[in-house]
This record gives sequence, C-alpha cells and structure tokens, in this order.
Amino acid sequence: MEEYNPADEVVFNVDESTFSIKECIESVIGGTDYNQGKVNQWTAGIVEHSLTHLVKQGRPFKYIVNCTIMQKSGAGLHTANSCYWDTATDGSCTVRWENRTMYCVVSVFAVAVAL
Amino acid sequence: MSAFQTEEEIVFDVEEARKVIKESVEAVIGENAYQHSRVNQWSSSVMEQCLSQLSKLGKPFKYIVNCAIMQKNGAGLQAVSSCFWDTCTDGFCTVRWENTSMYCIVTVFGLAI
Repeated sequence: MEEYNPADEVVFNVDESTFSIKECIESVIGGTDYNQGKVNQWTAGIVEHSLTHLVKQGRPFKYIVNCTIMQKSGAGLHTANSCYWDTATDGSCTVRWENRTMYCVVSVFAVAVAL
Repeated sequence: MSAFQTEEEIVFDVEEARKVIKESVEAVIGENAYQHSRVNQWSSSVMEQCLSQLSKLGKPFKYIVNCAIMQKNGAGLQAVSSCFWDTCTDGFCTVRWENTSMYCIVTVFGLAI
C-alpha cells in the first residue's frame, strides 16, 4: 500500500516564497533611487511578478500580496498584520528590503483552499 | 417552496468591514499625536479589535488585517495589494484615516471558506 502524504502540498512554503519575492524586488527596483513618478509602476510590477510566481507553483492556495514602498526621509513607519485563519495550513511571509533612498516591504498571505 | 438564500452570507460585506475598521481606529488612536514608543501597541490594538468584531459576525470567512501607521513629515508612501482568489465571494476593504500627526491605513481581506 502506497503512503499518501498530501501534507507537503498544502502547507505554505515560507523559505521558497521569501527567496522568490526577494528576486522579484531586486529585478524591479534594484539599483534605482526613489522616484515618485515611477513608484506606482514599481509596486504594480512587484505584486504582479510575485503573484505570477506563486500561482505557477500550482498549489491549492488563494494568495494576497501586499507591497509598500516608502521614501527614506526620517519619518516613522509601522506596519503590522493579524490573521484569523487555519494555522495548520495557512501561512505568510514578509520580506523587508531597502536601499539608500527607500524601504520596500512585501507580505504574502497564502490561504488554503478546501478541495 | 421557500426561496433558499445562502448567497448573501458568503459574499464579503465591504460596508460592514469599513464600519468595523473606522470604529476601531477612532477608539484606539483618536486624537493622539504620533509617538514612536506607542505605535506598536496602537497597531496591535486596532487589529485585535477589528479581528474580534469581524469574527463575531459569525460568517464563514478567514480574515487578514493589515495596519500601517506613518508619521506625517512629507515622505512619500505607496502601498499596493494584488489578490488571487475567488472574485465571487472574497473581498477587501481599505480605510485611510488621518489626524494632524499621522496616517493610519487599515486593510481587511475576507476569504470565504
């Protein structure tokens, strides 16, 4: 009798997602300075690439990707998340990135779909 | 034959979520001035109140609440979300609130179970 272990497929893989989000951020804003005219396009590009990457993994999850970019000017910024879900199957990962002129914080939430 | 209407219950109610968020932010932050030492406690309280009010509604949803508090000093901030979900039942609500010293942006995402 074969062992059937579906558990691998329905638990959110944090490390893999963290790695692919970092790559998405670098590819969109790596090496650029904060530019108000482009920030709209940057955030859209980051969430789109990240979401595409996640969906391609073909796992039974719904995803929410959130991206915040803030200019470095000495202001204080505090972001926090709270979730009411199934802790056995759902998960999230947050990536904080910065360069000389801006901060970028990307959060991914994955919620298992009942099949 | 009576009409069977379950669809009302499994669509995310944006207006109700908006009301819950506004009340939570007003109650926790209100007219307080931005204080770095208290902002952690404020965002935790806002989210806790939002989640507890939302779960009390007893609807078959999972919720994610995101809260960002930023001091007003002229810096630019851009926040964007993208979602891969069931567009018939799932939804979100964002409330942008401010007082004289800070901005508070709260987003609630509701995903049907």
